[in-house]
Amino acid sequence: MSAMLLNKEKWPDFVGKLTGKKLWAPQGKGEEMRFAPVTEGEAPALEYGNTRVPPKQAVFPQTETMFRFQLGGEEVEVPEPEEETVLLGVRPCDARSMAIVDNLFGWEEDDPYYFKRRELVTLVGLACSEPGLNCFCTSVGGGPASTEGLDLLMTDLGEHYFLEAVTEKGEALLKEAGDLLEEAGDDKVKEKDKKIEESAGKIKRSVDHEGVPESLPGLWDDPLWQSVSASCLGCGTCTYLCPTCHCFDIQDEVEGFDARRCRMWDSCMFGEYTLHTSGHNPRPTRRERTRNRINHKYSYFVDKFDVIACVGCGRCINLCPVNIDIVEILRQVKEAI
Amino acid sequence: MDLDKLRETAAEVAGRDDVKYLIGWKKGSYGYRIAPAFVEDVEAAAELIFSPLCTANLATYLTLVEKLPLPRGQEPDDRKVALMVKGCDSRAVAQLLAEKGIHRDEVIVIGCPCPGMVDPDLLAEKYPETEEPAELKWSDDGFVIVRDGEETAVPRDELLAEKCRLCRYPNPVVSDIMLDDPVETWEPAEDEGVTEIEEKEVDGRWAYWQEQFSNCIRCYSCRNVCPLCYCQDCILDRLNPTWVNRSVNFSENTAFNIARAFHLAGRCIECGECERVCPANIPLGKLNRKLAREIRDKYGFEPGLEPEGEPFQASYKPDDPEDFIL
Repeated sequence: MSAMLLNKEKWPDFVGKLTGKKLWAPQGKGEEMRFAPVTEGEAPALEYGNTRVPPKQAVFPQTETMFRFQLGGEEVEVPEPEEETVLLGVRPCDARSMAIVDNLFGWEEDDPYYFKRRELVTLVGLACSEPGLNCFCTSVGGGPASTEGLDLLMTDLGEHYFLEAVTEKGEALLKEAGDLLEEAGDDKVKEKDKKIEESAGKIKRSVDHEGVPESLPGLWDDPLWQSVSASCLGCGTCTYLCPTCHCFDIQDEVEGFDARRCRMWDSCMFGEYTLHTSGHNPRPTRRERTRNRINHKYSYFVDKFDVIACVGCGRCINLCPVNIDIVEILRQVKEAI
Repeated sequence: MDLDKLRETAAEVAGRDDVKYLIGWKKGSYGYRIAPAFVEDVEAAAELIFSPLCTANLATYLTLVEKLPLPRGQEPDDRKVALMVKGCDSRAVAQLLAEKGIHRDEVIVIGCPCPGMVDPDLLAEKYPETEEPAELKWSDDGFVIVRDGEETAVPRDELLAEKCRLCRYPNPVVSDIMLDDPVETWEPAEDEGVTEIEEKEVDGRWAYWQEQFSNCIRCYSCRNVCPLCYCQDCILDRLNPTWVNRSVNFSENTAFNIARAFHLAGRCIECGECERVCPANIPLGKLNRKLAREIRDKYGFEPGLEPEGEPFQASYKPDDPEDFIL
């Protein structure tokens, strides 16, 4: 892994080197920030906490057309794969979530839609120097400079960005921008390590999940599910804004004779989730649905893929309208075990 | 407000045999967060609070209950639900009563006269949250923030929520128990947000909402938090026929948002919850207040004031203006 330095003054030139690829970066102001295509010739500013909407939409769009067809016709038309895309300034938690979700979409059979996009995407990460109030990545296997899922990691060292290639894609980017970069000396490596350590020290919240994956299903009828879900509104905020939530629904949509089959994000917090045609729903109330959300992340997924499907980004806590707090739920779970 | 009195009253009500639970506000898990509290036993009443952070309108929980089919031989739980309300929240209860969405004997309304709430986003922006739960109090001319043992006085205008600046009914319009004397009402501010959009040309208005609705992620938090969005069978959930496609794009998002706004015309009581909970920061309050303004100006009607009154859509007057009908 090579380590390089990029003077921040050369950031626009670095971005300029990425021509021919679609660029996505955090756009908008303050809390409305989300990943969106960068206007050509612009160098996106990277000083931000984290985007409200995670960048998962770059590989798993909220609505994806699987194929188009004509009513009564016999042909189907599969949309062409997207062009190469570089995501700039991805937070390590969000990149890690993609590595986690890869497990699901690659389970037995590779999901072609997901992996087509995934292969075309290069993730340029930015280590966190100011973690948010509800960040708890360090207790679920991540960290402010975790490289998992990333192709290249940048760390802000004031005047410079410290660049580390993680994959071949990342190496290729460094090579392309070679004339803008300088070798990072040992002092800079130390400075970076110190910065990351400081940043990790600023993370205040944590979950203790030891023994949780094995024990969670045993709490099936525990009264805690009633109490933690009593105030749940049943909206999709926690799941839609979760970088690892990956449930989808498939629908045929028709306008005149033009039809398409598409898949779109679904949310286990919705009343129609897992609703059977018969009218029966195995998760009939918010109690069962909340229990499912926690079990899925902290037990079922671990059982199947040996990793917790939560990266500790804190979005579900930040944005829940009624203060349902996953850290607090896990504390209660731990107590009940 | 005297919190001891609030908790004593709540404990008394929650302890009654004919009460299932009482819904109020309690401190949240961190910072300025407030969590709805479902008080079933007398002890839990000690957690209840009423402060300038209690923006949430809890009336939505009256109709959000998911009723499962009862096992054979089991009687339904017909006990009452007690609900703490501010002025705006009480209007939701009054509107639900007028629409017969709930019945008067199902609910015990505990009124909290409201001096005005803070805007939670503005508060966190100016006085950043910490992991410790903070407290807010009212003072004579504003708010006092208590964080980590330190008190900061803030003038009222600096943090007062928009919905409260526009508020005309800070005192509960319907209640069984009042926890305090009515507060003195204030001159509601001009709704400049709505006026500003009204003054745009059609193209400008369209462009404004196009940008806003494009950001919608269809999480339906606005619908679910709304005390007056309580259809058992919402058109958005229908698949056969599909009235609104599940696809998330400007066209479908617009269909959803406009359908919701129309369904709330003459019913929205302007509690501002839709706007508060929207993770995409869509100014839904402006949309709903515009329709409320139309109905107030054209028909002289305001919803959520008379629990026994006739709902707007169900009323007819021979002299209703109908100049828009061709």
